[in-house]
Amino acid sequence: MFSSSNSIFLVHSFFPASQLKASRPKKAYFPGKISASYTATENRVFTSTNMASSSPASLYDVLGISMGASGNEIKAAYRKLARTCHPDVVSMNQKETSANEFMKIHSAYSTLSDPSKRAQYDRQLHGHSRRSPLTSSNIASMSGYRPRYSHSGMNWETDQCW
Amino acid sequence: MAEASYTVASDSETIGEDKSSAFPEIAIGIDIGTSQCSVAVWNGSEVELLKNTRNQKIMRSYVTFKDDTPSGGVSSQLSQEHDLLSGATIFNMKRLIGRVDTDPVVHSSKNLPFLVQTLDIGVRPFIAALVNNMWRSTTPEEVLAIFLVELRVMAEAQLKRPIRNVVLTVPVSFSRFQLTRIERACAMAGLHVLRLMPEPTAVALLYGQQQQQSSHDNMGSGSEKIALIFNMGAGYCDVAVTATAGGVSQIKALAGSTIGGEDLLQNMMHYLLPESQTLFKTHGIKEIKSMALLRVATEDAIHRLSSQISVQIDLDLGDGLKINKVINRDEFEEVNRKVFVKCESLIIQCLQDAKVEVEDVNDVIVVGGCSYIPKVKNLVASMFNGKELYNGVNPLEAAVRGAAVEGAVASGINDPFGNLDLLTIQATPLAIGIRADGNNFVPVIPRNTTMPARRDLVFTTCHDNQTEALIIVYEGEEKKAEENHLLGYFKVVGIPEAPKGVPEINVCMDIDAANVLRVLVGVVMPGSRQPTIPIMEVRMPTVDDGHGWCVEALNRKCGNTQDLVTVQKKV
Repeated sequence: MFSSSNSIFLVHSFFPASQLKASRPKKAYFPGKISASYTATENRVFTSTNMASSSPASLYDVLGISMGASGNEIKAAYRKLARTCHPDVVSMNQKETSANEFMKIHSAYSTLSDPSKRAQYDRQLHGHSRRSPLTSSNIASMSGYRPRYSHSGMNWETDQCW
Repeated sequence: MAEASYTVASDSETIGEDKSSAFPEIAIGIDIGTSQCSVAVWNGSEVELLKNTRNQKIMRSYVTFKDDTPSGGVSSQLSQEHDLLSGATIFNMKRLIGRVDTDPVVHSSKNLPFLVQTLDIGVRPFIAALVNNMWRSTTPEEVLAIFLVELRVMAEAQLKRPIRNVVLTVPVSFSRFQLTRIERACAMAGLHVLRLMPEPTAVALLYGQQQQQSSHDNMGSGSEKIALIFNMGAGYCDVAVTATAGGVSQIKALAGSTIGGEDLLQNMMHYLLPESQTLFKTHGIKEIKSMALLRVATEDAIHRLSSQISVQIDLDLGDGLKINKVINRDEFEEVNRKVFVKCESLIIQCLQDAKVEVEDVNDVIVVGGCSYIPKVKNLVASMFNGKELYNGVNPLEAAVRGAAVEGAVASGINDPFGNLDLLTIQATPLAIGIRADGNNFVPVIPRNTTMPARRDLVFTTCHDNQTEALIIVYEGEEKKAEENHLLGYFKVVGIPEAPKGVPEINVCMDIDAANVLRVLVGVVMPGSRQPTIPIMEVRMPTVDDGHGWCVEALNRKCGNTQDLVTVQKKV
């Protein structure tokens, strides 16, 4: 089933690329002390295995929306994608890939549908790449410097998104 | 297609579904409640509840053991009351399934008018019916299977086709181990479980379908609607918050507890006859009869209190034991105050988890047998500032109707009018995690995580040169590990010797599209990019019926030598 992959983690679909990209925002909807403690190591260790970067990079790309999308547009995009990508609606032999796909979509949605998480994400996206969001988010996750930003709150800049 | 003729399905895998049939079989929906059960099916244009030969849509969930042929509430024509008084009738099995004999819920079932015996050693309780002055032992799975067979036969007779695939509704608070017991009961009845749906999510799906239909009718924009579903039956109370638009229902939060009509009934029986517990301890023929009489009379009184302000109870339990009492509604509500407080707290918790304010809720749906109790309706309504409750669903049929809709959707049935163009995005009802940081439960997948889900967390050793680590997997909400449901355990060996805190032990939990939970553990040493030992993958739950004291045994054997701690944040 996973024969195309050569990494041991991916063989087990252990930490797929999608998860890593979204791993930082995950922190916020996982309240409690645990989440804060594990984000630091997670990226460092496992990003290296393989960034199967066939997927679009920014969370906006994942949902197929523009960066200025409204809350309702985000919701609508998420529902639309869920209707085609959720494991319950695909055929039997696609369940596994669609589960991964859907987790990625949901992860993007849960970040972008939360104003503060979205603001934080936008800042990260802007601040670290003028070139292209694709490289920036990959580098961000690979070099493991994301946690440094995890405690910055909202400011006037990010508030403007809303 | 049929190339894999020599493969053997792994013991831990369920057998794949048969995809060969050109016409998809529509899975039926079954609601096996603690006290009542029903079956429904999508008939091509709408949901239809199936009736038994006595023209009943809702049947009692009980099995009467007579000689060698047990018969259930679906087909049995006999007077239930008589069998109940003789101790031959077993019921309430949904409260007992998958529980060990140290469970308080099992203990509170000991005053049922049949035998529920506990040894308090963490094994399954001994359950038996009195047949011809002999205790005939049975199990919750067997009892459920008996009436599942009856439901199947009934459905097959009406639909004129063999039935195999089913969608069942289950309580939110069921652990994954309990779900395996339900699957076992279905397998015993020759049924294949296509999906197990938490009860309020089945109602959510039905609600989603209704919203979809009405937005078609109005040509409306189909804006998002948020509903709170409160479902209280005889055995369990469940709450869900769902957001629905365009046929997609997203379960935002779930909350559930083992409280229900049975608790109301027991509290009332205790109120009417405080010494009943000790009086009926011996479980002789006479005691069984008295217990059953008290139960029937109290249940009847509670039902009548839904429409009357007070009821008169006149009861002769034999041996000079008589009850003559007037019970009014206030008394009933006071006796059960704790149950109602718990109901409120479940609603509050569910709203908080869903991050939804009371004002954001468009519809409040109250279903289940207890929804007929004025206090239940009032307490829910008052939490939503007296909002009128949603009246678009039948309280007793909502769950089974939702299950039937899901059965059609999951069977891949298309409806030309788009009535099955539906999707429910489910969330995990309970957190899943491992024991770490001493005796704490550390969730890896928190509750109300959208499924399918994959989460991971890094742990480390708590002793220098610790080469082995015990992974004990629990499901639940309690802080202390052992207060949660045990799902399984295994040991990671071959961790390279290193000072404590150095090896990184990655615990990943994956719930796939079929709601199968896998726990994966990999060990990585700093500086390395590859796991130092093969990753372990274990499908959970692995525990069996007698798991009550496994962890104590493990503690005795290993102490804390193989414990783990969460990785502390480096500031």
